[in-house]
Amino acid sequence: MKLDRRTFLSGSVGLAAGAATTGLLLKPKYQVVRRRPRSRVAILNADSYSERLEQILWQGLGLFRLDVRGKSVLLKPNLVDYIPGNHINTHPLLVAAAAECFRRLGAKSVTIGEGPGHQRDTELVLFESGFADQLHGQKLAFVDLNRDELVKTKLLAAYTEMGHLWLPRTILESDFIVSMPKVKTHHWSGVTLSMKNMFGVVPGARYGWPKNILHWKGITESVLDVCATVPVHFVIADGIIAMEGNGPLNGTPRPLNRIVLADDPVAADATCARLMGLAPQGIPHIHAGSQFLGNLSIARIDQLAQPVQCPGTPFQLVPEFEYLHSYSEAEFLLGDEGRPAD
Amino acid sequence: MQTGLEACCDLKVVLANRQLPRGGWPFKHRSVQAALEPTCLALLALSSDESPARDRAIRFMLDTQNPNGSWPAFVSDGPEGSGLSGLALFVLDRCGIKGEVADRGFRWLLNLRGWESHWLWRWKFKTSDRHVRFDPDKFGWPWVPETVSWVVPTAYSLLALNSSLETSPSDLLRFRIRRGVEMIYDRICPRGGWNAGNGVVYGEPLSPHLDTTAVALLALRDDPTNGFVTASLDWLQQRAQSCFAPWSLAWAILALDAYGRLTHPLHARLVQTSDPGEIKDNATLAVVCMALDCAHGRNIFKVVT
Repeated sequence: MKLDRRTFLSGSVGLAAGAATTGLLLKPKYQVVRRRPRSRVAILNADSYSERLEQILWQGLGLFRLDVRGKSVLLKPNLVDYIPGNHINTHPLLVAAAAECFRRLGAKSVTIGEGPGHQRDTELVLFESGFADQLHGQKLAFVDLNRDELVKTKLLAAYTEMGHLWLPRTILESDFIVSMPKVKTHHWSGVTLSMKNMFGVVPGARYGWPKNILHWKGITESVLDVCATVPVHFVIADGIIAMEGNGPLNGTPRPLNRIVLADDPVAADATCARLMGLAPQGIPHIHAGSQFLGNLSIARIDQLAQPVQCPGTPFQLVPEFEYLHSYSEAEFLLGDEGRPAD
Repeated sequence: MQTGLEACCDLKVVLANRQLPRGGWPFKHRSVQAALEPTCLALLALSSDESPARDRAIRFMLDTQNPNGSWPAFVSDGPEGSGLSGLALFVLDRCGIKGEVADRGFRWLLNLRGWESHWLWRWKFKTSDRHVRFDPDKFGWPWVPETVSWVVPTAYSLLALNSSLETSPSDLLRFRIRRGVEMIYDRICPRGGWNAGNGVVYGEPLSPHLDTTAVALLALRDDPTNGFVTASLDWLQQRAQSCFAPWSLAWAILALDAYGRLTHPLHARLVQTSDPGEIKDNATLAVVCMALDCAHGRNIFKVVT
């Protein structure tokens, strides 16, 4: 076949256009890579909410040799609402213990910040969940992130394609952010752990109660964009009494007797999922987060303190997520690295 | 011990002193970022006073209206508009502001709908997405354009539209009020009262919230009293007895008073819990001022314009 100049040129243009389109499709949606070669996770035993938590936490934090001297530390618990008898919030004694530990580690300031998703009266949640007493007793500062001053912030990932979010100044000016989730199942996202907990930094005063735009843009996509933009430096997950079934509000309390500490939110969430008997790579935001936010595979996690032990009976889930019970043991532990070759 | 009137006067002085130079109020004391909700609530609290603070606040409201007729959630926010714009229109109406500003605002409000009203989403919610129990034919207003309806923005919008019904009735206005009222009833919790949106999710009833219930009841005042309203008032009255949080307590007083329910014991507690220096949130401070005013026969939500 004779290749004339016209055919050559039009073919070249077509190839270039195709290459550009492919390039765009393959281009990562994240502009920041927080994943390090290895992560550290510590599983601590704790059988109740008591004054002993500070000692347990202090020993656990000692394994990480954190340097927070002179830094402003922001503790972000999960305070959703107050429903008597339901373990839906991170326990105030654990948050108080964490605050005291970070003070002892030399933090310049320790602030607790949260923007509840449904309940507009944050003070009511603080009063009725016992947080107000802890805050007062320990002279701890609390910031309602729903009503904080806001700063327009470029998102460092493009999963939602929102481009930017207005975020609380307190969050953006903190040197060291600690996500403190309650270990719970979630009827829309499978689980709610340290990454999903960061929805609480999105301000209700701008986006409403609940932050419905995050659901419309996709929970997975929104978690990834928020966690790419607001770094989680450390995780302290409250799994002493966790929740299974129809979480995050109406599930059943499930004693797990564990606190999970980690220097990587993906590793923390993957470990919590395993402790719940769920395969972390089946949870979309944890799986996608393992590309750039942290490590999912147990081969990349230095396990400190207690080993990962799956429960005899996995956590109950709503039917849409029951598939999380049915992964092979290798996949369960290693994520994609444990998947058999095609 | 301070009387309610003394406490109210003190709080109003504090509130006026926290106004920013341009006329708005921030949520947080000492912040310089004026926001729509605290500004609207502060203006409502001060609306009966002929004061420079009131005039500056009205000027601020007029200056910050978006070209499309809506209001931003706070200064420097984008021009697409906030679901709180209904509250802004209600406040301006209470301050006697009519004309082009109000007309543009009402046009925007009448065109803003929760996305469940779109045929595609109606179909989705009726067929495949049945975990949230609600009727998408009954829609109101969202917090943010292009999301679904929620109780608080719908209630604020109904307050505004009801206030304009006398002066500029139209078929569209009546239609939106009717649909909005239906939406509020549709989302009620099984035993009365309202959560943020649906009353049942994944087959489980949600617990009502004091403030949302109060705002919903205020928006339903023009509707004939019925079993839903009575059950919600009963719940609100009962629940408020164990509430010590000023924001929720004050909203409960405003709603209970508007329906002629007894609020005296709640007032006494509100006075006790409302140390002016302790309330750092200006939106809360403003609602507390309005609630304390009720004890002296002044409930801004009962006033007929």
